[in-house]
Amino acid sequence: MGSRGVLSARMATVIQPVIENAPSPEKNARKYPGALVVVEGIDGSGKSTQLYLLKRWLEIHGYRIHFTEWNSSPLVKSATRRGKQRKLLTPTTFSLLHAADFADRCERQILPLLHGGYLVLADRYIYTAFARDAARGCSPHWLRNLYSFAPIPDVTFYFRAPLDVAVNRIVAGRPKLKYYEAGMDLGISLDRAESFRIFQERILNNYDQMIESDKFVLMDGTIPVNRLQKLMRQIVRERVDMAQFAPKKK
Amino acid sequence: MTDQKPENAASNGQPAKSPKKRARKSQSKRGEKANGAAGPAASRFYGTPMPGVTVEELSGSLIVIEGTDGSGRSTQISLLTEWLESEGFAVQTMGLRRSFLVGEDIDALLAENAVTRMTLALMYGTDFFDQLERRILPALRSGLVVLADRYIFTLIARSAVRGIGRDYLHGLYEMALRPDLTFWLDVKPEVAFDREFKKAHSISYWESGRDLSLSNDLFQSFIRYQSMVRKEFEYLSKRHEFLEIDGERSVAEVNGSLRKRIAQHLGIRGTHYRPSNALAHLWR
Repeated sequence: MGSRGVLSARMATVIQPVIENAPSPEKNARKYPGALVVVEGIDGSGKSTQLYLLKRWLEIHGYRIHFTEWNSSPLVKSATRRGKQRKLLTPTTFSLLHAADFADRCERQILPLLHGGYLVLADRYIYTAFARDAARGCSPHWLRNLYSFAPIPDVTFYFRAPLDVAVNRIVAGRPKLKYYEAGMDLGISLDRAESFRIFQERILNNYDQMIESDKFVLMDGTIPVNRLQKLMRQIVRERVDMAQFAPKKK
Repeated sequence: MTDQKPENAASNGQPAKSPKKRARKSQSKRGEKANGAAGPAASRFYGTPMPGVTVEELSGSLIVIEGTDGSGRSTQISLLTEWLESEGFAVQTMGLRRSFLVGEDIDALLAENAVTRMTLALMYGTDFFDQLERRILPALRSGLVVLADRYIFTLIARSAVRGIGRDYLHGLYEMALRPDLTFWLDVKPEVAFDREFKKAHSISYWESGRDLSLSNDLFQSFIRYQSMVRKEFEYLSKRHEFLEIDGERSVAEVNGSLRKRIAQHLGIRGTHYRPSNALAHLWR
Protein backbone atom coordinates (compact mmCIF):
# COMPACT_ATOMS: atom_id res chain seq x y z
CA MET A 1 0.00 0.00 0.00
CA GLY A 2 1.19 3.42 -0.76
CA SER A 3 1.95 6.11 1.73
CA ARG A 4 -1.66 7.15 1.68
CA GLY A 5 -2.63 3.94 3.22
CA VAL A 6 -5.42 1.99 2.08
CA LEU A 7 -7.71 4.74 1.59
CA SER A 8 -10.66 5.05 3.27
CA ALA A 9 -12.36 2.20 2.65
CA ARG A 10 -15.35 1.69 0.92
CA MET A 11 -15.98 -1.47 -0.49
CA ALA A 12 -16.80 -2.42 -3.76
CA THR A 13 -19.30 -4.66 -4.90
CA VAL A 14 -21.67 -6.03 -7.11
CA ILE A 15 -23.33 -5.78 -10.25
CA GLN A 16 -24.63 -7.12 -13.24
CA PRO A 17 -24.47 -7.12 -16.84
CA VAL A 18 -24.97 -3.68 -17.88
CA ILE A 19 -28.29 -2.45 -18.79
CA GLU A 20 -27.92 0.20 -21.36
CA ASN A 21 -29.67 3.11 -19.92
CA ALA A 22 -31.63 5.93 -21.33
CA PRO A 23 -29.22 8.17 -23.08
CA SER A 24 -27.97 10.88 -20.87
CA PRO A 25 -26.78 13.98 -22.62
CA GLU A 26 -23.56 14.46 -20.71
CA LYS A 27 -22.46 10.93 -21.02
CA ASN A 28 -22.74 9.67 -24.49
CA ALA A 29 -21.62 12.57 -26.51
CA ARG A 30 -18.11 13.41 -25.42
CA LYS A 31 -17.94 17.11 -25.85
CA TYR A 32 -14.84 17.91 -23.91
CA PRO A 33 -11.14 17.99 -24.65
CA GLY A 34 -10.07 16.38 -21.36
CA ALA A 35 -9.64 12.73 -20.52
CA LEU A 36 -10.68 10.60 -17.58
CA VAL A 37 -8.71 7.69 -16.19
CA VAL A 38 -10.12 5.77 -13.25
CA VAL A 39 -9.05 2.89 -11.05
CA GLU A 40 -11.43 0.40 -9.53
CA GLY A 41 -11.14 -2.72 -7.43
CA ILE A 42 -11.82 -3.96 -3.93
CA ASP A 43 -9.87 -2.69 -0.94
CA GLY A 44 -6.40 -4.14 -0.89
CA SER A 45 -6.23 -4.72 -4.62
CA GLY A 46 -3.40 -2.23 -5.01
CA LYS A 47 -5.30 0.29 -7.08
CA SER A 48 -4.57 3.36 -4.98
CA THR A 49 -0.86 2.67 -4.91
CA GLN A 50 -0.82 2.32 -8.65
CA LEU A 51 -2.85 5.45 -9.26
CA TYR A 52 -0.57 7.34 -6.91
CA LEU A 53 2.46 6.25 -8.91
CA LEU A 54 0.77 7.18 -12.15
CA LYS A 55 -0.04 10.57 -10.76
CA ARG A 56 3.56 11.10 -9.60
CA TRP A 57 4.85 10.20 -13.03
CA LEU A 58 2.54 12.70 -14.70
CA GLU A 59 3.19 15.41 -12.13
CA ILE A 60 6.93 15.04 -12.39
CA HIS A 61 6.70 15.52 -16.12
CA GLY A 62 4.47 18.53 -15.82
CA TYR A 63 1.25 17.20 -17.33
CA ARG A 64 -2.04 18.99 -16.80
CA ILE A 65 -3.70 16.61 -14.40
CA HIS A 66 -6.07 16.56 -11.49
CA PHE A 67 -6.54 13.79 -8.97
CA THR A 68 -9.90 13.12 -7.36
CA GLU A 69 -11.08 10.64 -4.76
CA TRP A 70 -14.37 8.96 -4.07
CA ASN A 71 -16.31 10.28 -1.15
CA SER A 72 -14.53 13.51 -0.60
CA SER A 73 -16.89 16.37 -1.21
CA PRO A 74 -16.99 18.67 1.81
CA LEU A 75 -20.55 19.64 1.00
CA VAL A 76 -22.02 16.29 1.84
CA LYS A 77 -19.50 15.18 4.40
CA SER A 78 -21.35 16.14 7.54
CA ALA A 79 -24.44 14.21 6.50
CA THR A 80 -22.42 11.16 5.60
CA ARG A 81 -20.55 11.27 8.86
CA ARG A 82 -23.70 11.63 10.92
CA GLY A 83 -25.42 8.85 9.05
CA LYS A 84 -22.50 6.51 9.54
CA GLN A 85 -21.81 7.32 13.16
CA ARG A 86 -25.39 6.86 14.18
CA LYS A 87 -25.95 3.95 11.84
CA LEU A 88 -28.90 5.68 10.23
CA LEU A 89 -28.22 4.59 6.70
CA THR A 90 -30.22 2.05 4.77
CA PRO A 91 -28.90 0.64 1.50
CA THR A 92 -30.95 3.23 -0.37
CA THR A 93 -29.94 6.28 1.64
CA PHE A 94 -26.34 5.08 1.82
CA SER A 95 -26.32 4.91 -1.94
CA LEU A 96 -28.06 8.26 -2.43
CA LEU A 97 -25.74 10.13 -0.10
CA HIS A 98 -22.72 8.83 -1.94
CA ALA A 99 -24.37 9.74 -5.21
CA ALA A 100 -24.98 13.28 -3.95
CA ASP A 101 -21.36 13.47 -2.91
CA PHE A 102 -20.26 12.23 -6.30
CA ALA A 103 -22.62 14.64 -8.08
CA ASP A 104 -21.06 17.55 -6.24
CA ARG A 105 -17.60 16.47 -7.27
CA CYS A 106 -18.73 15.72 -10.78
CA GLU A 107 -20.46 19.03 -11.37
CA ARG A 108 -17.98 21.26 -9.64
CA GLN A 109 -14.74 19.46 -10.32
CA ILE A 110 -14.64 16.61 -12.80
CA LEU A 111 -16.80 18.07 -15.57
CA PRO A 112 -15.31 21.56 -15.47
CA LEU A 113 -11.82 20.05 -15.56
CA LEU A 114 -12.68 17.81 -18.48
CA HIS A 115 -14.10 20.77 -20.32
CA GLY A 116 -11.00 22.73 -19.41
CA GLY A 117 -8.75 20.14 -21.00
CA TYR A 118 -7.37 18.29 -17.99
CA LEU A 119 -6.40 14.69 -17.59
CA VAL A 120 -8.48 13.66 -14.58
CA LEU A 121 -7.40 10.72 -12.45
CA ALA A 122 -10.06 9.20 -10.22
CA ASP A 123 -9.48 6.80 -7.36
CA ARG A 124 -12.74 4.87 -7.57
CA TYR A 125 -15.61 5.95 -9.73
CA ILE A 126 -19.22 5.01 -10.38
CA TYR A 127 -18.36 1.31 -10.65
CA THR A 128 -17.59 1.34 -6.96
CA ALA A 129 -21.18 2.31 -6.34
CA PHE A 130 -22.47 -0.26 -8.81
CA ALA A 131 -20.49 -3.04 -7.18
CA ARG A 132 -20.90 -2.04 -3.55
CA ASP A 133 -24.46 -0.76 -3.43
CA ALA A 134 -25.77 -3.73 -5.38
CA ALA A 135 -23.98 -5.95 -2.85
CA ARG A 136 -26.12 -4.15 -0.29
CA GLY A 137 -29.27 -4.99 -2.20
CA CYS A 138 -29.91 -1.91 -4.32
CA SER A 139 -31.36 -2.57 -7.73
CA PRO A 140 -28.60 -2.53 -10.37
CA HIS A 141 -30.97 -0.94 -12.80
CA TRP A 142 -31.75 1.87 -10.38
CA LEU A 143 -28.04 2.41 -9.71
CA ARG A 144 -27.23 2.66 -13.41
CA ASN A 145 -29.86 5.35 -13.80
CA LEU A 146 -28.73 7.13 -10.66
CA TYR A 147 -25.23 7.66 -12.03
CA SER A 148 -26.13 8.14 -15.67
CA PHE A 149 -25.06 11.78 -15.50
CA ALA A 150 -21.43 10.77 -15.00
CA PRO A 151 -19.01 10.99 -17.92
CA ILE A 152 -17.73 7.61 -19.09
CA PRO A 153 -14.00 7.11 -18.43
CA ASP A 154 -11.48 6.86 -21.25
CA VAL A 155 -9.74 4.08 -19.37
CA THR A 156 -11.03 2.09 -16.40
CA PHE A 157 -8.34 0.02 -14.74
CA TYR A 158 -9.73 -2.83 -12.71
CA PHE A 159 -7.21 -4.09 -10.15
CA ARG A 160 -7.90 -7.60 -9.22
CA ALA A 161 -6.24 -9.57 -6.47
CA PRO A 162 -7.45 -12.83 -5.01
CA LEU A 163 -9.88 -12.25 -2.19
CA ASP A 164 -7.57 -13.62 0.49
CA VAL A 165 -4.68 -11.49 -0.61
CA ALA A 166 -6.76 -8.32 -0.66
CA VAL A 167 -8.58 -9.00 2.58
CA ASN A 168 -5.40 -9.89 4.42
CA ARG A 169 -3.75 -6.67 3.27
CA ILE A 170 -6.58 -4.71 4.79
CA VAL A 171 -7.19 -6.66 7.94
CA ALA A 172 -3.50 -6.79 8.79
CA GLY A 173 -3.08 -3.06 8.51
CA ARG A 174 -6.22 -1.98 10.24
CA PRO A 175 -7.00 -2.56 13.88
CA LYS A 176 -10.69 -2.05 13.56
CA LEU A 177 -12.90 -2.26 10.52
CA LYS A 178 -15.65 0.30 10.44
CA TYR A 179 -19.28 -0.67 10.62
CA TYR A 180 -20.37 0.09 7.06
CA GLU A 181 -16.96 -0.74 5.66
CA ALA A 182 -17.35 -4.25 7.00
CA GLY A 183 -20.90 -4.46 5.68
CA MET A 184 -22.20 -4.95 9.22
CA ASP A 185 -25.45 -3.28 8.23
CA LEU A 186 -26.22 -6.33 6.13
CA GLY A 187 -26.29 -8.62 9.11
CA ILE A 188 -24.13 -11.21 7.39
CA SER A 189 -22.07 -12.02 10.44
CA LEU A 190 -21.52 -10.62 13.90
CA ASP A 191 -17.80 -10.96 13.42
CA ARG A 192 -16.49 -7.91 11.64
CA ALA A 193 -13.60 -9.58 9.91
CA GLU A 194 -15.87 -12.35 8.71
CA SER A 195 -18.54 -9.91 7.59
CA PHE A 196 -15.92 -7.83 5.79
CA ARG A 197 -14.65 -10.86 3.94
CA ILE A 198 -18.06 -11.96 2.74
CA PHE A 199 -19.00 -8.45 1.77
CA GLN A 200 -15.78 -8.00 -0.21
CA GLU A 201 -16.40 -11.26 -1.94
CA ARG A 202 -19.78 -10.09 -3.15
CA ILE A 203 -18.25 -6.86 -4.32
CA LEU A 204 -15.50 -8.69 -6.13
CA ASN A 205 -18.06 -10.83 -7.93
CA ASN A 206 -19.97 -7.77 -8.97
CA TYR A 207 -16.83 -6.13 -10.34
CA ASP A 208 -16.03 -9.27 -12.27
CA GLN A 209 -19.36 -9.12 -13.99
CA MET A 210 -18.65 -5.62 -15.28
CA ILE A 211 -15.33 -6.44 -16.90
CA GLU A 212 -16.69 -6.85 -20.39
CA SER A 213 -19.76 -4.71 -20.31
CA ASP A 214 -17.88 -1.71 -18.99
CA LYS A 215 -14.63 -2.36 -20.85
CA PHE A 216 -12.42 -2.68 -17.81
CA VAL A 217 -8.69 -3.06 -18.29
CA LEU A 218 -7.89 -5.97 -16.04
CA MET A 219 -4.76 -5.51 -13.90
CA ASP A 220 -3.29 -8.33 -11.89
CA GLY A 221 -2.81 -6.92 -8.41
CA THR A 222 -0.38 -9.66 -7.42
CA ILE A 223 2.44 -8.78 -9.75
CA PRO A 224 5.23 -6.56 -8.41
CA VAL A 225 4.36 -2.91 -8.01
CA ASN A 226 6.97 -1.51 -10.37
CA ARG A 227 6.16 -3.93 -13.16
CA LEU A 228 2.47 -3.26 -12.84
CA GLN A 229 3.12 0.46 -12.92
CA LYS A 230 5.15 0.13 -16.07
CA LEU A 231 2.26 -1.66 -17.71
CA MET A 232 -0.20 0.93 -16.48
CA ARG A 233 1.82 3.80 -17.93
CA GLN A 234 2.09 1.99 -21.23
CA ILE A 235 -1.67 1.50 -21.42
CA VAL A 236 -2.34 5.11 -20.56
CA ARG A 237 0.00 6.21 -23.33
CA GLU A 238 -1.79 3.98 -25.78
CA ARG A 239 -5.29 5.00 -24.84
CA VAL A 240 -4.89 8.67 -24.12
CA ASP A 241 -3.50 11.32 -26.39
CA MET A 242 -0.84 12.42 -23.93
CA ALA A 243 0.49 15.22 -26.11
CA GLN A 244 -2.66 17.08 -25.36
CA PHE A 245 -1.83 17.32 -21.67
CA ALA A 246 1.91 17.73 -22.01
CA PRO A 247 3.59 20.89 -20.76
CA LYS A 248 3.83 23.59 -23.38
CA LYS A 249 7.24 23.79 -24.95
CA LYS A 250 8.86 27.14 -24.35
CA MET B 1 -38.45 12.88 -23.15
CA THR B 2 -40.75 9.98 -23.30
CA ASP B 3 -41.56 7.04 -21.15
CA GLN B 4 -38.96 4.65 -22.32
CA LYS B 5 -38.98 2.40 -19.34
CA PRO B 6 -42.39 1.17 -18.59
CA GLU B 7 -41.33 -0.02 -15.17
CA ASN B 8 -40.58 3.53 -14.25
CA ALA B 9 -43.73 4.95 -15.47
CA ALA B 10 -46.84 5.34 -13.50
CA SER B 11 -48.73 4.89 -16.66
CA ASN B 12 -48.10 1.21 -17.05
CA GLY B 13 -51.67 0.36 -16.90
CA GLN B 14 -52.06 -0.92 -13.39
CA PRO B 15 -55.51 -0.28 -12.17
CA ALA B 16 -53.39 1.30 -9.51
CA LYS B 17 -55.61 1.71 -6.55
CA SER B 18 -58.58 0.00 -5.22
CA PRO B 19 -59.44 2.56 -2.64
CA LYS B 20 -62.53 1.14 -1.17
CA LYS B 21 -60.98 -2.17 -0.50
CA ARG B 22 -58.12 -0.68 1.36
CA ALA B 23 -60.26 1.76 3.22
CA ARG B 24 -62.20 -1.01 4.78
CA LYS B 25 -59.08 -2.87 5.51
CA SER B 26 -57.63 -0.03 7.49
CA GLN B 27 -60.54 -0.12 9.84
CA SER B 28 -60.43 -3.78 10.59
CA LYS B 29 -57.04 -5.01 9.71
CA ARG B 30 -57.42 -8.55 10.73
CA GLY B 31 -59.12 -11.30 8.83
CA GLU B 32 -59.27 -9.51 5.54
CA LYS B 33 -56.10 -10.73 4.03
CA ALA B 34 -57.78 -12.39 1.13
CA ASN B 35 -59.65 -9.29 0.31
CA GLY B 36 -56.89 -6.95 1.25
CA ALA B 37 -54.05 -8.19 -0.90
CA ALA B 38 -54.99 -5.46 -3.25
CA GLY B 39 -52.97 -6.56 -6.18
CA PRO B 40 -49.46 -7.15 -7.34
CA ALA B 41 -46.64 -5.49 -5.46
CA ALA B 42 -46.01 -3.26 -8.41
CA SER B 43 -49.27 -1.46 -8.00
CA ARG B 44 -48.15 0.25 -4.83
CA PHE B 45 -44.73 1.16 -6.16
CA TYR B 46 -43.81 2.83 -9.42
CA GLY B 47 -41.08 0.35 -10.14
CA THR B 48 -38.92 -1.89 -8.03
CA PRO B 49 -40.39 -1.98 -4.53
CA MET B 50 -38.17 -0.91 -1.67
CA PRO B 51 -36.07 -3.85 -0.58
CA GLY B 52 -37.66 -5.63 2.34
CA VAL B 53 -41.14 -4.21 2.01
CA THR B 54 -44.12 -6.49 1.95
CA VAL B 55 -46.89 -4.67 0.24
CA GLU B 56 -49.66 -6.55 1.96
CA GLU B 57 -48.64 -5.22 5.34
CA LEU B 58 -49.08 -1.60 4.29
CA SER B 59 -52.60 -1.15 5.54
CA GLY B 60 -52.60 2.63 5.89
CA SER B 61 -53.28 5.27 3.25
CA LEU B 62 -50.91 7.72 1.64
CA ILE B 63 -52.50 11.01 0.69
CA VAL B 64 -50.40 13.62 -1.05
CA ILE B 65 -51.09 17.32 -1.29
CA GLU B 66 -49.03 18.94 -4.01
CA GLY B 67 -48.92 22.51 -5.21
CA THR B 68 -46.45 25.33 -5.61
CA ASP B 69 -45.42 27.77 -2.94
CA GLY B 70 -48.43 29.73 -1.79
CA SER B 71 -50.98 27.18 -2.91
CA GLY B 72 -52.26 26.66 0.63
CA ARG B 73 -50.94 23.17 1.24
CA SER B 74 -49.82 23.53 4.83
CA THR B 75 -53.06 25.20 5.87
CA GLN B 76 -55.06 22.40 4.36
CA ILE B 77 -52.90 19.76 5.98
CA SER B 78 -53.41 21.29 9.44
CA LEU B 79 -57.15 21.27 8.90
CA LEU B 80 -57.25 17.78 7.42
CA THR B 81 -55.20 16.44 10.31
CA GLU B 82 -57.66 17.82 12.82
CA TRP B 83 -60.63 16.51 10.85
CA LEU B 84 -59.16 13.02 10.44
CA GLU B 85 -58.22 12.83 14.09
CA SER B 86 -61.71 13.84 15.07
CA GLU B 87 -62.93 11.00 12.86
CA GLY B 88 -60.64 8.62 14.73
CA PHE B 89 -57.85 8.24 12.19
CA ALA B 90 -54.25 8.52 13.33
CA VAL B 91 -52.26 10.81 11.07
CA GLN B 92 -48.58 10.99 10.21
CA THR B 93 -47.21 13.84 8.14
CA MET B 94 -44.18 14.20 5.93
CA GLY B 95 -42.72 17.03 3.94
CA LEU B 96 -39.59 18.24 2.27
CA ARG B 97 -36.40 18.56 4.30
CA ARG B 98 -37.90 16.93 7.34
CA SER B 99 -35.68 13.87 7.51
CA PHE B 100 -33.46 13.44 10.49
CA LEU B 101 -30.69 12.25 8.21
CA VAL B 102 -30.22 15.25 5.93
CA GLY B 103 -33.05 17.74 6.51
CA GLU B 104 -30.79 20.29 8.15
CA ASP B 105 -27.98 19.67 5.72
CA ILE B 106 -30.23 20.67 2.85
CA ASP B 107 -31.22 23.83 4.71
CA ALA B 108 -27.54 24.63 5.00
CA LEU B 109 -26.87 23.92 1.34
CA LEU B 110 -29.76 26.16 0.33
CA ALA B 111 -28.56 28.94 2.57
CA GLU B 112 -25.16 28.91 0.91
CA ASN B 113 -26.51 28.94 -2.64
CA ALA B 114 -23.39 27.03 -3.54
CA VAL B 115 -24.99 23.80 -4.46
CA THR B 116 -25.43 22.55 -7.99
CA ARG B 117 -28.62 21.10 -9.38
CA MET B 118 -27.67 17.43 -9.42
CA THR B 119 -26.27 17.46 -5.90
CA LEU B 120 -29.37 19.20 -4.64
CA ALA B 121 -31.63 16.76 -6.47
CA LEU B 122 -29.85 13.82 -4.88
CA MET B 123 -29.83 15.36 -1.41
CA TYR B 124 -33.59 15.83 -1.72
CA GLY B 125 -33.76 12.23 -2.88
CA THR B 126 -31.90 11.13 0.23
CA ASP B 127 -34.22 13.22 2.38
CA PHE B 128 -37.23 11.66 0.68
CA PHE B 129 -36.16 8.04 1.01
CA ASP B 130 -35.03 8.50 4.60
CA GLN B 131 -38.52 9.71 5.45
CA LEU B 132 -40.12 7.00 3.36
CA GLU B 133 -38.21 4.22 5.07
CA ARG B 134 -38.17 5.54 8.60
CA ARG B 135 -41.47 7.33 8.86
CA ILE B 136 -43.91 6.59 6.07
CA LEU B 137 -43.58 2.85 5.70
CA PRO B 138 -43.74 2.22 9.47
CA ALA B 139 -46.80 4.46 9.66
CA LEU B 140 -48.51 2.67 6.80
CA ARG B 141 -47.72 -0.67 8.39
CA SER B 142 -49.49 0.56 11.50
CA GLY B 143 -52.54 1.56 9.50
CA LEU B 144 -52.08 5.32 9.79
CA VAL B 145 -53.15 7.94 7.30
CA VAL B 146 -50.05 9.66 5.97
CA LEU B 147 -50.56 13.23 4.78
CA ALA B 148 -47.66 14.31 2.61
CA ASP B 149 -47.02 18.03 2.27
CA ARG B 150 -45.50 17.65 -1.21
CA TYR B 151 -44.05 14.45 -2.56
CA ILE B 152 -41.79 13.27 -5.36
CA PHE B 153 -43.72 15.39 -7.85
CA THR B 154 -42.43 18.69 -6.54
CA LEU B 155 -38.93 17.26 -6.51
CA ILE B 156 -39.28 16.03 -10.07
CA ALA B 157 -40.79 19.30 -11.29
CA ARG B 158 -38.13 21.48 -9.70
CA SER B 159 -35.29 19.42 -11.09
CA ALA B 160 -36.92 19.10 -14.48
CA VAL B 161 -37.14 22.86 -14.92
CA ARG B 162 -33.42 22.90 -14.16
CA GLY B 163 -32.76 20.62 -17.08
CA ILE B 164 -32.47 17.23 -15.43
CA GLY B 165 -34.19 14.60 -17.58
CA ARG B 166 -37.66 13.48 -16.59
CA ASP B 167 -36.77 9.86 -17.22
CA TYR B 168 -33.79 10.20 -14.96
CA LEU B 169 -35.96 11.68 -12.23
CA HIS B 170 -38.68 9.09 -12.54
CA GLY B 171 -36.00 6.42 -12.38
CA LEU B 172 -34.58 8.00 -9.25
CA TYR B 173 -37.95 7.72 -7.54
CA GLU B 174 -39.03 4.38 -8.95
CA MET B 175 -38.94 2.85 -5.47
CA ALA B 176 -41.28 5.49 -4.13
CA LEU B 177 -44.67 4.42 -2.97
CA ARG B 178 -47.54 5.29 -5.25
CA PRO B 179 -49.96 7.52 -3.33
CA ASP B 180 -53.57 6.48 -2.84
CA LEU B 181 -54.65 10.01 -3.65
CA THR B 182 -52.65 12.90 -5.05
CA PHE B 183 -54.25 16.32 -4.89
CA TRP B 184 -52.84 19.22 -6.82
CA LEU B 185 -53.81 22.59 -5.41
CA ASP B 186 -53.39 24.70 -8.48
CA VAL B 187 -53.01 28.47 -8.21
CA LYS B 188 -51.82 30.99 -10.72
CA PRO B 189 -48.30 32.29 -10.05
CA GLU B 190 -49.65 35.81 -9.51
CA VAL B 191 -51.93 34.58 -6.74
CA ALA B 192 -49.12 32.54 -5.23
CA PHE B 193 -46.96 35.65 -5.26
CA ASP B 194 -49.54 37.68 -3.33
CA ARG B 195 -49.94 34.95 -0.75
CA GLU B 196 -46.24 34.33 -0.29
CA PHE B 197 -45.52 38.01 0.00
CA LYS B 198 -48.22 38.45 2.59
CA LYS B 199 -46.73 35.61 4.58
CA ALA B 200 -43.05 36.48 4.56
CA HIS B 201 -42.95 40.12 3.38
CA SER B 202 -40.28 39.13 0.93
CA ILE B 203 -39.65 36.55 -1.76
CA SER B 204 -36.97 33.98 -1.25
CA TYR B 205 -34.07 33.14 -3.52
CA TRP B 206 -35.23 29.61 -4.27
CA GLU B 207 -38.94 30.32 -4.54
CA SER B 208 -38.19 32.78 -7.27
CA GLY B 209 -35.77 30.40 -8.99
CA ARG B 210 -32.97 32.92 -8.88
CA ASP B 211 -30.39 30.23 -9.51
CA LEU B 212 -31.83 30.06 -13.03
CA SER B 213 -31.05 33.72 -13.72
CA LEU B 214 -34.45 34.33 -15.25
CA SER B 215 -34.70 37.98 -14.41
CA ASN B 216 -33.21 40.51 -12.05
CA ASP B 217 -36.68 41.71 -11.28
CA LEU B 218 -37.73 39.44 -8.44
CA PHE B 219 -41.39 39.59 -9.30
CA GLN B 220 -40.71 38.61 -12.90
CA SER B 221 -38.33 35.92 -11.78
CA PHE B 222 -40.89 34.48 -9.38
CA ILE B 223 -43.65 34.46 -11.99
CA ARG B 224 -41.51 32.91 -14.67
CA TYR B 225 -40.10 30.27 -12.39
CA GLN B 226 -43.45 29.31 -10.89
CA SER B 227 -44.94 29.18 -14.37
CA MET B 228 -42.27 26.74 -15.44
CA VAL B 229 -42.91 24.57 -12.41
CA ARG B 230 -46.63 24.74 -13.03
CA LYS B 231 -46.09 23.52 -16.56
CA GLU B 232 -44.20 20.52 -15.26
CA PHE B 233 -47.10 19.87 -12.93
CA GLU B 234 -49.49 19.87 -15.85
CA TYR B 235 -47.40 17.15 -17.43
CA LEU B 236 -47.11 15.22 -14.16
CA SER B 237 -50.80 15.58 -13.52
CA LYS B 238 -51.61 13.62 -16.64
CA ARG B 239 -48.94 11.05 -16.11
CA HIS B 240 -49.85 10.39 -12.48
CA GLU B 241 -53.56 11.09 -12.43
CA PHE B 242 -53.63 14.00 -10.04
CA LEU B 243 -56.89 15.19 -8.58
CA GLU B 244 -56.81 18.83 -9.53
CA ILE B 245 -58.29 21.33 -7.14
CA ASP B 246 -58.69 25.02 -7.77
CA GLY B 247 -56.53 26.39 -4.98
CA GLU B 248 -57.71 29.94 -5.52
CA ARG B 249 -61.02 29.31 -3.85
CA SER B 250 -61.50 29.96 -0.14
CA VAL B 251 -59.82 27.76 2.42
CA ALA B 252 -63.20 26.37 3.48
CA GLU B 253 -64.18 25.50 -0.09
CA VAL B 254 -60.89 23.83 -0.90
CA ASN B 255 -61.07 21.94 2.36
CA GLY B 256 -64.56 20.78 1.53
CA SER B 257 -63.41 19.33 -1.80
CA LEU B 258 -60.51 17.56 -0.15
CA ARG B 259 -62.65 16.10 2.63
CA LYS B 260 -65.20 14.83 0.19
CA ARG B 261 -62.69 12.83 -1.81
CA ILE B 262 -60.76 11.62 1.22
CA ALA B 263 -63.95 10.57 3.01
CA GLN B 264 -64.85 8.51 -0.01
CA HIS B 265 -61.46 6.86 0.02
CA LEU B 266 -61.41 6.10 3.73
CA GLY B 267 -65.05 5.19 4.00
CA ILE B 268 -66.00 8.09 6.27
CA ARG B 269 -69.72 8.75 6.03
CA GLY B 270 -70.24 12.37 6.86
CA THR B 271 -67.85 15.11 5.87
CA HIS B 272 -69.09 17.76 8.22
CA TYR B 273 -66.27 19.68 9.85
CA ARG B 274 -65.71 22.94 11.62
CA PRO B 275 -62.24 23.82 12.78
CA SER B 276 -61.62 24.04 16.51
CA ASN B 277 -60.77 27.37 18.06
CA ALA B 278 -57.12 26.56 17.71
CA LEU B 279 -57.42 26.46 13.95
CA ALA B 280 -60.30 28.87 13.45
CA HIS B 281 -57.95 31.57 12.20
CA LEU B 282 -57.19 29.44 9.14
CA TRP B 283 -60.82 29.25 8.12
CA ARG B 284 -61.44 32.12 5.80
